[in-house]
Amino acid sequence: MKLDRRRFFGSAVGAAATAGVAAKWTWPKYSVSYQRPLSSVAVLNANAYSEKLEALLLDGLRLFRLDVAGKSVLLKPNLVEDLPEPVNTNSVLIGAAARCFLRLGAARVTIGEGPGHQRDTELIVQTAGLEPHLVDRRIKFVDLNRDELERVPLKASYSGLHELWLPRAVLASSFIVSMPKIKTHHWAGVTLSLKNMFGIVPGTKYGWPKNLLHWSGIHESILDICATVPIHFVIADGIIAMEGNGPLQGDARQLGKIVLADDPVAADATCAGLMGFDPLQVRHISEGSRFLGNLHENRITTLGEDATTPLRPFSVLPEFQYLLASGTQPFTARQRSD
Amino acid sequence: MSGILQLLTLQRRDGAWPAFRGDPGASWTTALVLCALNGTGDFASARESAFRWLVAERGREGHWFWRWKFKTADRKVRFDPEKYGWPWTPGSASWVIPTAFSVIALKQYTVCNRLEASEKRIRLGVEMLLDRVCVAGGWNSGNSLVYGVPLRPHVEATAIALLALQDEHRSVMIDKSLDLLKRRAASVDAITSLAWCILSLFVYQEPVDGLKNRLAILIGDGKKIQDNAALATAILALNCGEMIHPFVILR
Repeated sequence: MKLDRRRFFGSAVGAAATAGVAAKWTWPKYSVSYQRPLSSVAVLNANAYSEKLEALLLDGLRLFRLDVAGKSVLLKPNLVEDLPEPVNTNSVLIGAAARCFLRLGAARVTIGEGPGHQRDTELIVQTAGLEPHLVDRRIKFVDLNRDELERVPLKASYSGLHELWLPRAVLASSFIVSMPKIKTHHWAGVTLSLKNMFGIVPGTKYGWPKNLLHWSGIHESILDICATVPIHFVIADGIIAMEGNGPLQGDARQLGKIVLADDPVAADATCAGLMGFDPLQVRHISEGSRFLGNLHENRITTLGEDATTPLRPFSVLPEFQYLLASGTQPFTARQRSD
Repeated sequence: MSGILQLLTLQRRDGAWPAFRGDPGASWTTALVLCALNGTGDFASARESAFRWLVAERGREGHWFWRWKFKTADRKVRFDPEKYGWPWTPGSASWVIPTAFSVIALKQYTVCNRLEASEKRIRLGVEMLLDRVCVAGGWNSGNSLVYGVPLRPHVEATAIALLALQDEHRSVMIDKSLDLLKRRAASVDAITSLAWCILSLFVYQEPVDGLKNRLAILIGDGKKIQDNAALATAILALNCGEMIHPFVILR
């Protein structure tokens, strides 16, 4: 067949368009990978926010043999509103974590949060009872909504945002610990260590709430943020968790667990399992397992007790029934044999 | 004056201001700067271009497609998408505080000469605020009901929304919101929230001397305040009644 110029041009355009579409769907949207050969998770039992938490947490952290000596540690709790338990990560746990990292040799600990709705961060800090835990001069609180900012290119391209302004306190930290409250979330399904990183995005630039992230896709924005600011460790507060219409209006759920992990995807998968959810149904967890951490149970080892699923799954809004791990094997991490 | 001159150098060509020095984007701070310049009665060109930017700016739900979506397909959050205000940052939806600041700035700027277009934009902003009021009065950050459950009012959002409505007809919801603010002001111990309570209650001619005394005690020597915005708001509140109120709307 003779290929005239018009037909050749049409074919070339068609091929280019096909290649473009194919590339969009197959080309990786991330330029980094934080996956390790084997991730570790520990699930600690704790039924109350008591003074005993610090010793329990220190023992748990020692299982991971963390190297935080001389490092600047940022604890990123989930402080959302000036509301009582179980909306925010409990201050007793935050304070215990701060002191534990100092005892493990950290040079300083910054507790940083940029609440998403309530603009008066001081009000949240007061209501949460965090102030008594800030007496050690090596522990300070930074309002990430109003910190100095730097423009940072994103290391993934799910949201289409390309770049974000991020707080210096976050960028200057050498060890970032995400400390979520284990909760359901009426837009994202769950709010765990990955979703918790929304709080590093500054309100001064993006508002209260950081609505641009919602318009750019919640799951997509989570993936881009966590690709750009890697989470080094997770301490998830599930002593009293939240079910139902979270993250603000749900019901307290006594779970009695603290989840520790050196991998945010493994942490979130474990937490989702504890909630009775299938982590594969949470888009940012399943997609995050390509590059942010490990989801497959063969690549996760449990240091403490088994991450067993609850007798009764967390209640969810009708829109999120698909999260429930019915008909599939509930997620459980592999017990380390050594 | 040097502060104002610095602000003027940061104004964008389109009339908006960025959120901070070095930020290339337009932002919610434009309304605050216009309020500051309105107090001087000077800098006509800068104010006019800021005014034009504010009149043109709108929350993303102001676009017909999103209004249609929120009316038909997406009813998880209860609000009337026909009533839209201003976003924190272009490309996002309307929220209470940036809408309230924008309404104040536009009302102040057009107090002597309000054309139909600006009156229409101001009305839309006022209607948006009244549409988003919480069930028992006061304002949350944006909406009043999510998944059918009422949201609780925030002190700061309530105080700033009331500032924007100071010259409006005193409806039942405005009175309820004012009562709520008075109750919260009596107990709140956070500097920013208390300062906004003072600034708002003052324009409603409520007594604020006791609140100012409490604020002064909370501030102390000011060394513990890390945030310039909190410090600035507190200074304005402490000087309430002794200087031109930056958010007062002349009638």
